[in-house]
Amino acid sequence: MTATTHSAKAAKAGAGRRAAKPGRSNATKRANRYGWAFMAPFAILFVFVFILPIIWAIYSSFFRQVATGGGAYGGGELVNQFVGVENFIYVITSQDFWAGVGRVVVYTVIQVPIMIIIALVLAMIIDSLVVKHIGGFRLGYFLPYAIPGMVASIIWVYLYNGQISPLVKGLAALGVNVDFFNDNIILGSMANITTWTFTGYNMIIFLAALQAIPHDLYEAARIDGANGWQIATKIKLPNVRSAALLAMLLSIVGTIQLFNEPQIMQTSDPGISKSYTPMMMAMNTSQGTITPSGDGPANAIAIVMALIAGILAMIYAFAERKVNQE
Amino acid sequence: MVSNRKRFMAGLATISALCIALAGCGGESSGGDAASDGPIEITYMHRLPDSDGMVLVNDIVARWNEEHPDIHVTATKFDGNAADMKQKLERDVKSGNAPDLAQMGYSEIPEVYVKDMLMDVTEYASQYEDDFASGPYSLMQVDGKTFGLPQDTGPLVYFYNKAEFDSLGISVPQTKDELIAAAKTAAAQGKYIMSYQADEVGNMFSGLAGASGGWYSVEDGEWVVDTETAGSAAVADVYQQLLDAGAATTNPRWDPSFDASLQDGSLIGTIAAAWEAPLFIDSSGGTGSGDWQVAQIGDWFENDGKTGPDGGSGVVVLKGCEHPAEAMEFLDWFNTQVADLVSQGLVVAASTEPATTPDSWAEFFGGQDVMAEFATANENMGDFTYMPGYSAVDAAMKETAAKAVDGSATVADIFSVAQTTSVDALKNLNLPVKE
Amino acid sequence: MSKAARARRRADRIREKHENDLPRSMRPNAMVKTITVVILVVALIYFLFPIYWAIIACTKTPSQLTGSNGLWFAVGLADLPDAIADNYTTLLGWTRGNFWRWVLNSLLYSGISALIGTVVSVMAGYATAKFAFRGRGLAMAVIMGCMLMPASLLTIPQYSIFHALHLTNTMLAIIIPCSVSPFGFFLGRVYAQTSVPDELIEAARIDGAGEARIFFTIVLRLLAPAMVTIFLFMFVQTWNNFLLPLMMISSDELKPVTLGLYGMVSLSTFNDRGALMMGALLGVLPVIVLFLGLQRYWQAGLAAGAVKG
Repeated sequence: MTATTHSAKAAKAGAGRRAAKPGRSNATKRANRYGWAFMAPFAILFVFVFILPIIWAIYSSFFRQVATGGGAYGGGELVNQFVGVENFIYVITSQDFWAGVGRVVVYTVIQVPIMIIIALVLAMIIDSLVVKHIGGFRLGYFLPYAIPGMVASIIWVYLYNGQISPLVKGLAALGVNVDFFNDNIILGSMANITTWTFTGYNMIIFLAALQAIPHDLYEAARIDGANGWQIATKIKLPNVRSAALLAMLLSIVGTIQLFNEPQIMQTSDPGISKSYTPMMMAMNTSQGTITPSGDGPANAIAIVMALIAGILAMIYAFAERKVNQE
Repeated sequence: MVSNRKRFMAGLATISALCIALAGCGGESSGGDAASDGPIEITYMHRLPDSDGMVLVNDIVARWNEEHPDIHVTATKFDGNAADMKQKLERDVKSGNAPDLAQMGYSEIPEVYVKDMLMDVTEYASQYEDDFASGPYSLMQVDGKTFGLPQDTGPLVYFYNKAEFDSLGISVPQTKDELIAAAKTAAAQGKYIMSYQADEVGNMFSGLAGASGGWYSVEDGEWVVDTETAGSAAVADVYQQLLDAGAATTNPRWDPSFDASLQDGSLIGTIAAAWEAPLFIDSSGGTGSGDWQVAQIGDWFENDGKTGPDGGSGVVVLKGCEHPAEAMEFLDWFNTQVADLVSQGLVVAASTEPATTPDSWAEFFGGQDVMAEFATANENMGDFTYMPGYSAVDAAMKETAAKAVDGSATVADIFSVAQTTSVDALKNLNLPVKE
Repeated sequence: MSKAARARRRADRIREKHENDLPRSMRPNAMVKTITVVILVVALIYFLFPIYWAIIACTKTPSQLTGSNGLWFAVGLADLPDAIADNYTTLLGWTRGNFWRWVLNSLLYSGISALIGTVVSVMAGYATAKFAFRGRGLAMAVIMGCMLMPASLLTIPQYSIFHALHLTNTMLAIIIPCSVSPFGFFLGRVYAQTSVPDELIEAARIDGAGEARIFFTIVLRLLAPAMVTIFLFMFVQTWNNFLLPLMMISSDELKPVTLGLYGMVSLSTFNDRGALMMGALLGVLPVIVLFLGLQRYWQAGLAAGAVKG
């Protein structure tokens, strides 16, 4: 590339900018072309993996599999019958469904803030550098995240088990008899599994946000005579707020889909119903352990639940904006 | 050097895995294009344990393939539970790439038949009928058609620790009153001769109640549902009394707490399905080995000396199978490999040869010929027909059963929940129910 | 060893520098220090205890699990190798000798799909961050909305679609669905917004560089730490997925390790829990190694993303 072409192009670009109208339309064209070009690989995959299946799910939620052949076995054949919004009416009027939604909401309201606060506190302690050799702590807290949710649930179910767990046995030896499967405690037992798995992950995110705070901010605060506590609350907290709000939103989305923990705990406690959470209800409906069963009713459950999640997320986002404005 | 070679091997494995993936594109089963001179291809999906020390399914199949060059069988183990497998097969059948043969629980067969997953093989099955006990064979029949051949059975029997019984001065009870009295005697000493297993009620309670009469029947093309039979009432009565008196353990069967109750010697008697024997031995961890015995269940549930079925499964021929005659030929051979199937922990449905009791079982059960005892129970088993949609009934029963443990429901509620869920499930499938 | 020593020395240097940064009034007093140490240690015990228990448990037989002290091995240290070997044999028996094959499959699935997923996420994130193309708002709304859809329920329709394409029971049936992540896209966008200055792109354009070249030579380099973060996130997600392979895969040779473990647990009659724990721990090792190896990068990436999250 020679200097002449170089400067010529620069001049051209400069001219384009000055002549506002054609330049903007050129820029728009370019934005459209390259924007979509960069978007394309993701978009194509996304259509295959999300859009088409969702359309299929919505479509099938208007159908139910029924026997029409007559006789006790319906002629040994089920047909997909259009049932209108019957599946949705079933979901909306199902007590089991709303009981499940209630459990998930309670779970979310309790578990998410606790997890976020623990993660935040640990991150701030580690960031404060009060203690040396933090690497080991950081890794130790993070390790559970690497363990698949299913395996984590299995490990904890064993640790809740009165016959296997050194925890329960130890407490019993101290005269404290805990039944982690007790109806009043079981939700907490599940929340503990989620907290154990994801606290470290959230902590790492907060830690990253804390470490990204420019050090001259601390300098300035120090000159102004701020103490450690003030620096933590006035500088550090505001700077991790956006990270915390994001982590919160993601955790809410995650807990709404609560499935692994109750599903695995069911093996030790048959009292956990097949519709304990909406996700469990949907999976069990599609597998036929809840009647009416099949893809139609299962997809209807999923769609109603996704709508509820959407509304909750919107409320959350709205509240967040309100808080941010103040 | 070593690491280089390792890296090379890993690379090789990666490439070969990719090749398999690409070759697998055509994933279709049952050799549609098995040309006139090639062997016929049969695929078989099972969920047998195939664990350490057993004769692996693939090894049994390999023997068949060696002896039958014209019919080549490929067996696949499904890594999931029965419900997962049923769901996968349903999709596979719909999309036309299902295996030819698949393992299916007896209670699931009416359900998958209604879902149009099974192939009617009545014409091929009758020649093999004599190879199997008549009870299990009839469970492979729905709506007057036969869909495969039975593999194993689960007659309910009674396991008990004879040495412990002797020291308590009790023997295997013969009547309901004797049972409850003995249970109370034992409980006073911190021992339990019965267990209430909330996670197994769908199989065990239906079986126990079914010993005196079934729940489901078809009259004039309509379902007649009665899960609250005299047998059910008797089962409810016995277990309610045991629970109220604190004379039965309440640990779920597949929870480690059940194993622990065996290992600490507190559980010294329980009703169990015959196929539980090897698992029971595992669970006990050797506690009381040599002292245990198998007995027939007494006349505890107005069962009049009969017993009922708990689980067990057969192998069905799925829709889309192109060579049902050959598939059935293999199936008959496979399901009569008695010794191999016994090694998988099955109480076989085949009647071609007597199953010998494996040494490890005999050792645990004090030298008893437990297989003979199971065979007696097998012959003594009442008929029990399942209805389509039974999985939902099973789930609802379990949930209620768990509530009965803490007193928020009664044992009798299990059977009334079964009634309403049964009727709902049939109606949701649009099948006629006689009210 | 020298590497570790060097790292430690570097860490010490950084810490010293930080401590000197702190004013005297902010230097921790003894009591504050004690309290924080106690908190950190208690938390560490909480997070590590289950893993410690799992390690102990993977040396035990089913009856030893219920019968022996849960905090320590059931056999003497001398017999430990035998106990481990026994459970290892049990594990291989349950998995029909396929265990390591499945681990390799998991590595392939997670590695390839995370690689593809990272690149397409970053490209799409870059597109939405830097180009005001038509339909951008809608595309973003749809993608973010899909974060709310329970991914596990999409598995069933995904199966139908992949079957129509004759892709079930192939590696692609896992790799394709796992290489799209709305969250990955979201991270890609945030990173592109925060760590790619507009001026730089503009300058490159003025220099006459094509858009593709700008992206692949300049933007990707700026986004490298962010990409490691997305990669790891997607890697873990694919590694932990078992519902998708359960539906898609029927050949033994194509199973990932989680599906194999699920197959063990889902048999209601299963009780070789020690062997299961061993499988779980061995199956997690590659993920941990990966995280440790890439630690420096993903922490930088998280820092970049978290600030403006």
